[in-house]
Amino acid sequence: MNCAQTRELLSGYIDGELPPDQAMELSEHLTTCAECAGIYEELLATVRTLREGLVKYRAPDLLRARVRSALREEERPVVARPTPRVRRGLRVPWRSLAAAAILVVASSGITFVATRDRPSAESSIGEEVLTSHIRSLMPAHLTDVASNDQHNVKPWFNGRLDFSPSVPRLEDAGFPLLGGRLDYVRGRPVAVVVYGRRQHVINVFTWPTDASGDAARTLTTSHGYNLLHWRSGGVERWVVSDLNAAELRQFGMLLER
Amino acid sequence: MSDSALESFERIVVPLLDDAYTLARHLMRDEHDAQDVVQEAYLRAWRHYGSFHGGDARPWLLAIVRNCGYTWRRGTRVQRESVAYVEDEHGIGDESHHATDAAALAASDRAELRDALDQLPLEHREAIVLREIEGLSYKEIAAVTGTPIGTVMSRLSRARQRLQETLGLGARAKEGGR
Repeated sequence: MNCAQTRELLSGYIDGELPPDQAMELSEHLTTCAECAGIYEELLATVRTLREGLVKYRAPDLLRARVRSALREEERPVVARPTPRVRRGLRVPWRSLAAAAILVVASSGITFVATRDRPSAESSIGEEVLTSHIRSLMPAHLTDVASNDQHNVKPWFNGRLDFSPSVPRLEDAGFPLLGGRLDYVRGRPVAVVVYGRRQHVINVFTWPTDASGDAARTLTTSHGYNLLHWRSGGVERWVVSDLNAAELRQFGMLLER
Repeated sequence: MSDSALESFERIVVPLLDDAYTLARHLMRDEHDAQDVVQEAYLRAWRHYGSFHGGDARPWLLAIVRNCGYTWRRGTRVQRESVAYVEDEHGIGDESHHATDAAALAASDRAELRDALDQLPLEHREAIVLREIEGLSYKEIAAVTGTPIGTVMSRLSRARQRLQETLGLGARAKEGGR
């Protein structure tokens, strides 16, 4: 085997993919040709570098949720599909959904259907929070810091806000942490901590308030989303998701524990 | 009955999401396109789950991902290639989840490797992903890409040489190689 043939086959030799007789000839050549042996060593080092350095991407949690949701949708019988609007939307290409979401928000300004009477100031905050929630569902908008570890998420807010949101670990209760981001509500920066529940995304908005007194939990519904609001200890909290009301209430209780 | 098929799919195929996304990400060089491709691929995989006859599901799934990626690229044409490449430089963000052997390398080195990989022609990129990241055999790569084994070997050989040059890893290979 000559040098040109050897160099052609080195790559396959490193992978152990040459036929035995060819591999034997090649290794014999390497013992007699210093130059080819040097090239072999270099290529071997390169392959090691590639194998160690090239790592898998981690699929985004939202993609995970989309795939699961699409599979469930696929499973369901074609007739009788009482699916909420948004879940069906998950099957269409993501960007169309995002565009549709923008349209809904932008065109209607969202008619806020509250299940109980609240002062209008509060329901307009609810609208803002809901708009932000929908916006967060677009690709790359959900989290600024994506992590399922509260020890990554909580410190991330340091220096970005003048208060520190609580980031409890609720994974064991079936609400894995997905991450956190900064958002704006009423023209002020607020903390958003993001949790998941099966294919659902839950946004928890937190900011300090001057309003005196606590406000009890109220659950409102708008456009198929549930919004849970309460105020305690000088902190406003809004929890938004397309998760069902019962589980969202349960989540709200866990948050405060 | 269909329940158990879905359960089996969720147990065997859904956990391969990182593998699917990694291939799609390097094929498309755009995270949003990659997500769309993977979702489409999973739907297709589920619809054709009956054609999977056991064994390692990775080559089977990756072949579907690759086909979806190629179809998608044909549809959207290549006009955003250069733009997508620039975006990708900033899109690398999940390394903390891969603390294993990659911990030895600085994040910047890994980013440099990914960049170098994403500069290769499509056929070379997929060969490298399937071999160096997925660890598939030449036979499996040949099956996934629908090419003869000899072609797999020569593509890998060229791709490695290109990467070696781009990354400045081999001084000799330049004058010696072909």
